[in-house]
Amino acid sequence: MSFSSLDFYLATVVVIFGVDVLSAWGLNLQYGYAGIPNFSFIVFQAAGAYTAAILTLGPMTATSGQTYVAGTHVPFPVALLAAVAAGAALSAVIGVFAMKRMRADYQAAILLILALILNQFIVTDTSLFNGTSGLANVSRPLGSLVNPSTTGWQWAYAALVWAICAVVLFAVQRLSRSSWGRALRAQRDHDAAAAALGCNVVALKMQVFVIGGAIAGLSGGLLVFYLQAFNTASWGYEETLAIFVSILIGGVANNWGVILGTFLVQIVFVEVPNLLPQFGYIGLVDALEWVVIGLLWMAAIALRPQGVIPERRVRAERFGLPALRRALPAATAAAAPGQQGAHEERLGATGGASRR
Amino acid sequence: MLAPGDLRPLVEVCDLVVSYGAVRAVDGVTISVAPGEVLGIVGPNGAGKSSLLAAVGGQLRPTSGQIRLDGVDVTKLPPHRRARRGVVRTFQDTSEFGRLTVFENLLVAGLGMHGASLYAATVGARAQARRTATAAERAAELLARFELEPMRDTYAMELSGGQRRLVEVMRGLMREPKLMLLDEPTVGVAPHLSEQLRREYRRIAASGVAVLMIEHVLEVVEEVSDRVVVMDNGSVIAEGTYDQVMQSQAVREAYLG
Repeated sequence: MSFSSLDFYLATVVVIFGVDVLSAWGLNLQYGYAGIPNFSFIVFQAAGAYTAAILTLGPMTATSGQTYVAGTHVPFPVALLAAVAAGAALSAVIGVFAMKRMRADYQAAILLILALILNQFIVTDTSLFNGTSGLANVSRPLGSLVNPSTTGWQWAYAALVWAICAVVLFAVQRLSRSSWGRALRAQRDHDAAAAALGCNVVALKMQVFVIGGAIAGLSGGLLVFYLQAFNTASWGYEETLAIFVSILIGGVANNWGVILGTFLVQIVFVEVPNLLPQFGYIGLVDALEWVVIGLLWMAAIALRPQGVIPERRVRAERFGLPALRRALPAATAAAAPGQQGAHEERLGATGGASRR
Repeated sequence: MLAPGDLRPLVEVCDLVVSYGAVRAVDGVTISVAPGEVLGIVGPNGAGKSSLLAAVGGQLRPTSGQIRLDGVDVTKLPPHRRARRGVVRTFQDTSEFGRLTVFENLLVAGLGMHGASLYAATVGARAQARRTATAAERAAELLARFELEPMRDTYAMELSGGQRRLVEVMRGLMREPKLMLLDEPTVGVAPHLSEQLRREYRRIAASGVAVLMIEHVLEVVEEVSDRVVVMDNGSVIAEGTYDQVMQSQAVREAYLG
């Protein structure tokens, strides 16, 4: 591999990593904090990607060589915001029936089936986004600043993606630590009890579903401007599974842990195999990738369901209470004779294992 | 001082019916509870006690009949709207938020902390911070009163059954409730905690809260309740003080078959 192609490859990995981290934060809000098993998450990324593409491709002409709807030219930032809006709007529509009170396993099934149906729909109706061939020739933005055909542009775009990641991280951390985030986690652990304490569970779920969808749309927009192309194979349902595994491995309801999980799953297990020498029949390495992801999922659930970096314990000190003297086990036992569970420092990391 | 019965009832249940298909789990029940009063509901399994409680809490939509809270018809209100009007409850299986600490379990329940408003969590963050501070203060008081201070940073799922029950009751008290619904509030609780809980239930009632309690252990019913309703097959078969209902022929038949 020559230096320039390595440079090209590295920049691509950095961009994809950023996009995947964004997606994982979006899904972590929905699944990690709110307990919504959104198996159609990738659909909302696709909504953002297609929206950004058609808004910059320009009107369809006889020589476009591809069919799509509503082609127009808008500036890059507008197209990116439209991608966010598309993810949010589609989430709002789907959320109306998918966020009703129902058992989580039914909800998971509905959302998974929805992902399959919508993908098939776009495959079949080629007039919308050109079916399996998908949209191509999306122009790279900010071409007036950096020559888009250089690796310099790639690195500049990578920097933009990660700057956006920093803003989104700030936002998701702030949201998840707020009283709103606490109410989300409460209804995740026991929805009837949360409702009985005044939480409007359906509204909470709807809100987090739309916010997660907006982040998914953003990630899709950023992705399509880098890849310059997007088709139905880019958003198979299994892409959502890879994001789920990233969250499960990195840390459910821990936005920092999710960065680590995304690195391990999307980069080490999905990207690096592309560098390995191919062996066996064509497609074997790809297939093995999914086998590994499936095994990782099972291993994570069996061995460490809270992830490598578990959800952070929120201590009462944060709310201005005097620091708790670290009670000796004997002293704690005296306060609650015969009870266990007082030795929380030792139990610390066992969180997250329940109810899932 | 007024005796509990002298006050206007806080909650009135009129001719309530809850059906599951052809089965009438609650079949025309009329009861009321006054502020400061503990009404115990007893009856054999399948008598419709839990369905009655769920209908009052809003977890179940009744087939017919009316539930009034403070004179206002709340029959059609969802549970979170009833909660905001001062109804709290415990569940037969404890309902702690397992991966929240004890302290956070209380904080979620604080008034104005229900988080349904994204606006409050973001744009209105300053006002929300004030509400959080108030809730944190109240949580600290309750932790001291229930002697759970050492456990405040413990995940609720790591607590014993009795401690979980305490957390549920404390969570209810965070809301300064008017009506507390208790579903078998001493089941699975170690004896010394059961004693503490029974004292607290009396104390909660004494502070003016109306308490509606389902309880199988007759000893607890006798100790805690001001008045007892006996249900069988979805209907009320006796009502009165503990001693009165225990002498009723219908009650003996229901229990002894």
